[in-house]
Amino acid sequence: MIRELKNCLRFLSDRKTTILLWLSVVFFFAPVSNEVLGQKRFSRNYPAIKNVRLQLLNRSGTVIVEGWDRPEINISAYLESPAANIAPQSLSGTIFIDLVKDNQGRNGIGNVNFLIRVPRVSNVDIETRIGNLSVTNVGGNLVRACITTEGDITLTNIAAGAVDAQNGIGDIFFDGEMRTGGQYRFTSMRGNINLRIPFSSSFRLVATAPSTRNISLGSFANPEMTFGDGRRVIGRFGGGSAALTVTNQRGSIAFIRR
Amino acid sequence: MNCDECQENISVFLDNELDETLSLSIQTHLLACRDCAKVCEDFAVILDSCRVEKPSEIVPPNSQALWCRINNIIESEPKREPETVETRKGWFSRGWQFSQIGSVVLGVALISSLLTVIGMRNYFEPSTVDFTSRTSASQTTFEKVLSRVGLSDTPQQSRMRRFQEQQAAIEYWNKRAQERRVQWDNKMRDAFDRNLYEIDQAVSEYTTILQQDPQDDLSGEMLDSTLNEKMNLLRAFSEL
Repeated sequence: MIRELKNCLRFLSDRKTTILLWLSVVFFFAPVSNEVLGQKRFSRNYPAIKNVRLQLLNRSGTVIVEGWDRPEINISAYLESPAANIAPQSLSGTIFIDLVKDNQGRNGIGNVNFLIRVPRVSNVDIETRIGNLSVTNVGGNLVRACITTEGDITLTNIAAGAVDAQNGIGDIFFDGEMRTGGQYRFTSMRGNINLRIPFSSSFRLVATAPSTRNISLGSFANPEMTFGDGRRVIGRFGGGSAALTVTNQRGSIAFIRR
Repeated sequence: MNCDECQENISVFLDNELDETLSLSIQTHLLACRDCAKVCEDFAVILDSCRVEKPSEIVPPNSQALWCRINNIIESEPKREPETVETRKGWFSRGWQFSQIGSVVLGVALISSLLTVIGMRNYFEPSTVDFTSRTSASQTTFEKVLSRVGLSDTPQQSRMRRFQEQQAAIEYWNKRAQERRVQWDNKMRDAFDRNLYEIDQAVSEYTTILQQDPQDDLSGEMLDSTLNEKMNLLRAFSEL
């Protein structure tokens, strides 16, 4: 018996380095594997017909929407535990996802992180209570991104006829074109609003930052813009065909030439 | 279903004239919402009293005799003599001069052209914004005249009225959000509190400015929009 124990100890001391290496590998990957195990994945494809519209209301988590060249909609969601109920509905070209309704009255639901791919010429209407929203490469009639409380909104390569971005605490970044006769509205309670638009844009502007009076027009400043006491800038750039309204209650507004 | 929809349909619901789906959703809402349940109860009491009340309690006793008496009183009143009208043969016979007629015509032309100009301005000027968010600068001449003579609200008065309405709505949604609060997780609660704090800071800032300068239309407009945001935040969280 004692001899067996001695043999065992000798074996362990001979392979000490290998065992330590294995243990470190196990400890290193343990939290990652836990995270992966605690996450569920949801994936579904829908064929796209004309006038595609995505309408999503999330509770918490990140939402990324990307425009692609395929005539289909791909929804991938990563559900952190405890996993939320998710039941998308497709009705005459509109995809509805309402996680608030689907999980009403449930306590402590984990984040749901979406990656959604839609045809470029789609209408996108996304809203979340908490979390970041990002829309890229979309040029339909409408892009609406709304965060009830906290999170950043990033809209890049957008060529929509109407854009509405609204959040509580967080930044808003828009990089896109403005269509003739389009309507563009950016509203934040606290954060930075940065708009990167082409110099060839044509818009009527009402930009308001009453608390900070920090409105930077950059290359878009011209004598037709009136600053008043600094809290609001009203004016016209180019022909003034689109309507651009920017309001930041307790943050800054900046225009960047694209 | 929200409270507005429910209260809009309560009367039809009590008459059993709603389709099953809507009726069921109203019943579900009434179970959850005490305010709407109270409204429904009041409606039901009124309807019941109308059904129970006897016609004799509404129509006076011997109504025919009453009508006869009223008719006799009207007929017994002495009729007025038609006034004798002194016939005039023309304006000139009243002693009107050409210069007087000319000035009257000129006056009428001036007033009508002024009214046309004001009318055109009133037609083209008002923007798409509602009256509550209108500023004194954007107020039309007609509205200014009306508010001077007390026939309509000034922008400050309408702002106050709007402010009170918003406060009432905020109280309602706040009560509902507080009832739901126990069901939120810590992350939700913290985010809600931080945002509410930011909004309240902005509200207090604009209120202070407006106390110092009630004519500051921009602060009035911002206060209106901030209170709307507060209402939306409370409403969104009361649905969680």
